[in-house]
Amino acid sequence: MLQQLKYAFVVKIRNFSIVFWPLLFPLALTTLMYFSVGQMDESDFDTIDTAVVYEEVQDRGNAENAVTAQKSGNDRFLQYLTAVEEDSDLIRVRQMEDEEAVKALEEKEVRGIYYIKGEDLSLTVSENSLSSSILESLLTGYEEGRQTLENVMKYHPEGLDEAVKMLGEYGTAVEYVSLGGNTTDTTAQFFYAMIGMACLYGCFIGFGCALWLQCNLTALAARRCVAPVHRLRVILTEFAAGFGIHFVNVMILLAYMKYILRLEFAGSYLSMVPVAFIGGMFGVAMGIFVGSIGKMGEGIKIGILIGVSMLLSFLAGLMNPQIKVWVDQSIPVLNRINPAAVISDALYCINVFDSPERLGQDMIILTAMCILMVAGAFLIVRRERYDSI
Amino acid sequence: MIIKIENLVKRYGSLVALDHLNLEVKEGEIFGLLGPNGSGKTTAINCMLALLKYDRGSIRIFGEEMAPDNYRVKSQIGVVMQDVAVFEELNVQDNIDYFCGLYVKDKNKRKELVEEAVRFVGLEEYRKIYPKKLSGGLLRRLNIACGIAHKPRLIFMDEPTVAVDPQSRNKILEGICELNRQGSTIVYTSHYMEEVEQICSRIAIMDHGRCIALGTSEELKNMIKTGETVTIEAVILEEEDLARIRELPHVFDVSYKDGTLTVRCTGARHNLLRILEYLQSRKIPFGRVFSELPTLNDVFLEITGKQLRD
Ligand SMILES: Nc1ncnc2c1ncn2[C@@H]1O[C@H](COP(=O)(O)OP(=O)(O)OP(=O)(O)O)[C@@H](O)[C@H]1O
Ligand SMILES: [Mg+2]
Repeated sequence: MLQQLKYAFVVKIRNFSIVFWPLLFPLALTTLMYFSVGQMDESDFDTIDTAVVYEEVQDRGNAENAVTAQKSGNDRFLQYLTAVEEDSDLIRVRQMEDEEAVKALEEKEVRGIYYIKGEDLSLTVSENSLSSSILESLLTGYEEGRQTLENVMKYHPEGLDEAVKMLGEYGTAVEYVSLGGNTTDTTAQFFYAMIGMACLYGCFIGFGCALWLQCNLTALAARRCVAPVHRLRVILTEFAAGFGIHFVNVMILLAYMKYILRLEFAGSYLSMVPVAFIGGMFGVAMGIFVGSIGKMGEGIKIGILIGVSMLLSFLAGLMNPQIKVWVDQSIPVLNRINPAAVISDALYCINVFDSPERLGQDMIILTAMCILMVAGAFLIVRRERYDSI
Repeated sequence: MIIKIENLVKRYGSLVALDHLNLEVKEGEIFGLLGPNGSGKTTAINCMLALLKYDRGSIRIFGEEMAPDNYRVKSQIGVVMQDVAVFEELNVQDNIDYFCGLYVKDKNKRKELVEEAVRFVGLEEYRKIYPKKLSGGLLRRLNIACGIAHKPRLIFMDEPTVAVDPQSRNKILEGICELNRQGSTIVYTSHYMEEVEQICSRIAIMDHGRCIALGTSEELKNMIKTGETVTIEAVILEEEDLARIRELPHVFDVSYKDGTLTVRCTGARHNLLRILEYLQSRKIPFGRVFSELPTLNDVFLEITGKQLRD
């Protein structure tokens, strides 16, 4: 088994075209994209102007309590925002009256309004964008922190100082501080879709594997078909070798983005590795599957793979992020089963949403599809005899 | 009976490649499948290996139904394909090791076997060379080594010596006999009748997907009328002369074309002498003269009415 795996690796690595196109093509495309889209948006990312509006607490009968609440709750939130403001260039906070703030929001002078009404905090934004996600996560970050703070006050009053300090660093918002110059919302979308496409390009490696499995396609495969090796084992060996190589390819792409192009995403590169792992695995599995189905020739299957991976990437927003938005709105289920979209969604989760559930869901979808593909390939080539060789 | 094929029918669309083929191969023999191009040899082998679907009939190997997942049977089979099937990306030694590894798990044992196979085909000096750099003949030899390194009980060889020079060919043929002596049964296809005659203990002659004759080379030759073929070159003959020659005893077929006379006689002595006597009596000059004992080509010719090789 190990011997087989070793040779499977060697054979693939020496096979320039099969291994290196899936590497070079995404690299080239990323570079082109970097120069066309990446830089254009470079100056776009600005500090987010934010309004803070104090609202009257209506309940007069409880005025005293309300004032206290205002003091404890609201001021703390404002303090928190100020801390974030001073800490980074992420936001710029201005206190405003209600109408003034709404007008500013309409005129896009501010990107969001925090309403403070006693203990209740709320956020109004005008559009769905990266800035609004950031503002939102600042709020949730604070609220999660507040919960902690109150618990601390209740149960461990002695640790209060420590807890207040923590609050300033609490939450996901702080992560956005690392958001650098050139990956604004839309641009980042491009690159997520790019990584998705790179993962799918593993299908060409997988396809190469399938060629060596099917005796009607190559004499070499015929020789292997007559050997007494269980088909599942042959497939898994090929799959493992193909995936091993492809994973390195995707890692090279990520490294290229990080160290050469110096693209900065909100989340860390490290957290994107698992997505690349499963995504790449899916790509290879898809190639093996397509390579195994039907009895059409090599050229046709390669055509299918190019077409499918392009179409999927297109729907996932590779050429134009608006497409993904459109698909999300009109046929949401399509992008839940489109692996390219799922991969880029997972990356979006990591970098923008910070939603572990959705990320988990994405990973499960990818893994399930991956298993389906390999199992399908196995079932197809298991007992296969051919009409003609 | 190590292989038993009954009524095998294989069609490619409307073309009938195997037409109710019946064959039996006994343990320990070198079984020759002889036939012209397109007679169905490769198709028959691919069916036996369970690579091809077939329309009718049954194939049993080692007494078991052959199927793509019959690994017990497969593990005792070695195959040398008609098309060279080796990895371009691996050198000679690794290629053999790879294919041997599909059958033999034990590393040390495999090492020995690979070494033996390398020596068997005489590729000692080329161990680290990649297939691209091997000449056609050397590549063929590598192809053979990959198929037989694991010392299988049954070996299929589909025209393994195409494009190999006569010297290496002899070496390979000797090697095949050696494999046979070590206990392997061999199914050998070829359209070189000399080769088949030289090594095969039994021969099946195929044409249009059918087995038209079967037996040892002696038996096959005894099957036909031809005992001797006399050829005389550069001779000018009239119709009358031809008629007279045809009437000579033991002569059963006379053909005359472009000044070359071919006379086929049944197996009696003095055929050549009688023909020459006739020519001398008529004072007809002639060029080179030769007489041949029957070959498998004659067998083929007599059964099908056409030459095995054109
Ligand atoms: N894949 C195929 N599709 C259609 N017809 C085929 C196919 N393979 C072989 N044939 C036809 O089947 C017949 C038998 O072919 P086969 O390859 O078995 O002959 P062969 O005896 O091995 O010939 P050769 O000496 O040239 O190797 C031929 O007429 C050939 O044209
Ligand atoms: Mg053939």
